[in-house]
Amino acid sequence: MSALLEVSGVSVSFDGFKAINNLTFQIGKAELRAVIGPNGAGKTTFMDIITGKTKPDEGRVLWGDKSQSLLALSESQIAQAGVGRKFQRPTVFEDQTVADSLMLALRKDRGPLSVLWFRPSQADHAKVQELADEIGLSAALARKAGELSHGQKQWLEIGMLLAQDPQLLLVDEPAAGMSPSEREHTTDLLVEAAKTRAVVVVEHDMEFVRRLNCKVTVLHEGSVLAEGSIDHVTKDDKVIEVYLGR
Amino acid sequence: MVTDTSSSFGPKYSGGAGVKPPHEATAQAGAKPFLLRHPSVLIFIACLALFTMGVTILAEGFGVGAISTSFVKTLGKTLCLCLVALAMDLVWGYCGILSLGHMAFFGIGGYAIGMWLMYARTEIIVAQSLAAAPLPPTAQEISDGIATQIFGGVGASEFPPIWAFAHSLPLQLAAVVLVPGLIALVFGWLAFRSRVTGVYLSILTQAMTLALSLYLFQNDSGLRGNNGLSGLQNLPGLDETPQSVVSMWFFWASALALGGAYVLCAWVVSGKFGSVVRAIRDDESRVRFLGYSVEAFKLFIFTFTAVIAAIAGALYYPQAGIVNPAEIAPIASIYLAVWVAIGGRGRLYGAVIGAAFVSLLSTWFTGGQAPDINLGTYTIQWVDWWTVLLGFSFVAVTLFAPRGIGGLFDLISDRRAPDRHGADLGPDAGALQEKEADK
Repeated sequence: MSALLEVSGVSVSFDGFKAINNLTFQIGKAELRAVIGPNGAGKTTFMDIITGKTKPDEGRVLWGDKSQSLLALSESQIAQAGVGRKFQRPTVFEDQTVADSLMLALRKDRGPLSVLWFRPSQADHAKVQELADEIGLSAALARKAGELSHGQKQWLEIGMLLAQDPQLLLVDEPAAGMSPSEREHTTDLLVEAAKTRAVVVVEHDMEFVRRLNCKVTVLHEGSVLAEGSIDHVTKDDKVIEVYLGR
Repeated sequence: MVTDTSSSFGPKYSGGAGVKPPHEATAQAGAKPFLLRHPSVLIFIACLALFTMGVTILAEGFGVGAISTSFVKTLGKTLCLCLVALAMDLVWGYCGILSLGHMAFFGIGGYAIGMWLMYARTEIIVAQSLAAAPLPPTAQEISDGIATQIFGGVGASEFPPIWAFAHSLPLQLAAVVLVPGLIALVFGWLAFRSRVTGVYLSILTQAMTLALSLYLFQNDSGLRGNNGLSGLQNLPGLDETPQSVVSMWFFWASALALGGAYVLCAWVVSGKFGSVVRAIRDDESRVRFLGYSVEAFKLFIFTFTAVIAAIAGALYYPQAGIVNPAEIAPIASIYLAVWVAIGGRGRLYGAVIGAAFVSLLSTWFTGGQAPDINLGTYTIQWVDWWTVLLGFSFVAVTLFAPRGIGGLFDLISDRRAPDRHGADLGPDAGALQEKEADK
């Protein structure tokens, strides 16, 4: 299986503090992966590096069949290449309707001029409707995103990500602040999405990770501590030491 | 392409991403023409047309003469200020770039058209005075004559290189658009690619306008130093035409420009482009992760609005009669932001209302027409105290009515958020309450 994303030997430090230390990570084209780790393990920095927000001091980040380096690209270029990111705090555009938000995210030419001349076709409207059904917001299409509940905002953001049609989805704590039924729905969405693309879920909540039923990567102090099934890593001595206290 | 439109709604369009849809399929919602989908634009145009007709009928030039020519000029200038406020609203209210330098572009537009007006008119005068000479004057003599007339006051008698195109109206008209457009493009590119945002960008734009104004204050800038360009109200070759008529021409041109720019701006901010631009205002980095090049969009808006500002300036200064470096002073751009804030950011008519309201009020207060208030020991003279009042109004609007005057329209239209008396917003129990959702 050829990897979609290959991160190798990446290190980054902030003011002498090594946030990421010689990290190596791989993910295939249609794979669900959970990344867990205690606070300060470098989970968010890891995502920042992939999405171009932070440039690493050393190492390689290779993408796709052509093994293109993501390090030379800007955030928007990386997003266009097919990396979608969901932030921990739901960041939707509060002033815009659900329909507009999804239309905004729909995979189209992103240049200013083509956006200026863009008028949605019926197919685009249909696609927006379809996405809204998927995230359970079809009744709220005309509502402003700011009026949605916390869980609905999370879904809207996931919907916007799906609209982008990325090959790799990075999801930061998708279940934070969700009710049990909302969590279940979110799990379904992610598992479904991972059938056609790579999905990386960063999560604190072990129960949620267990429900995802996928390979788990444990980060600690900026590098990979253990990797494998959830049962495998929870039995790992090092993980127990870090996670459950010595 | 014009076929039976009903048929295109029949079979499901299977274009998929990236395929250009046939024109007919431009969405159910998009079936209506642009103006019908945006009634506020139609209402604005109707109001502007009524206002223009009313002034035409009442003015001296072509009507009954109830409005003086100088007041027609004031109204025409006000329309130009509304136009530049429109640009400011687009760049600040919609895109979130608090540019405090857009009046520099306004001034450059005035200078660009002023150079031709001054050159062409002086040329006629010089040609007339030299016509009496026994030998017909050479081109060099005429040129020297014009230069002496224009630059005598600043101790020069030769044309600086910057005046190379002043003889040609088309070239100077091109300069009205190109010079500010180019400056905005270069400045914006440098600023946005370094990701200068917020207050730092505002300071940078202030620095730009201050630098430009200080440069123009110098006599050797080639634009007559602090004298500026004057006599712009006189159109070359039209000395016979009374100012009452010329003022109407400019009034109409200003109204036309404002109406046209309003429709254009409304179109720009309507569809997906407007969506992207407002998203940039609200959360710039999120837009980046959606794959949009934020810098390119900002640069587009910055340059586009700079050009609108310049066109406004090119229409304003022939009505004002004089343009000098003081017009480009940093305070002018701050006033512009105050107008837009008072009128209401993020809605085009708000900017127009704010600019018209505040600038006309300012004319009234500073024109000595407002009655002074005698407090016994101290008399409030509005000429001095107007800016204080304006400052307080600005603070008050910012604190208590962030939507500005335009927000009043929300009270009568249904743009308010639905009030469900504190009921849950979401379908799930425990979802956010309305008050929290406002945050």
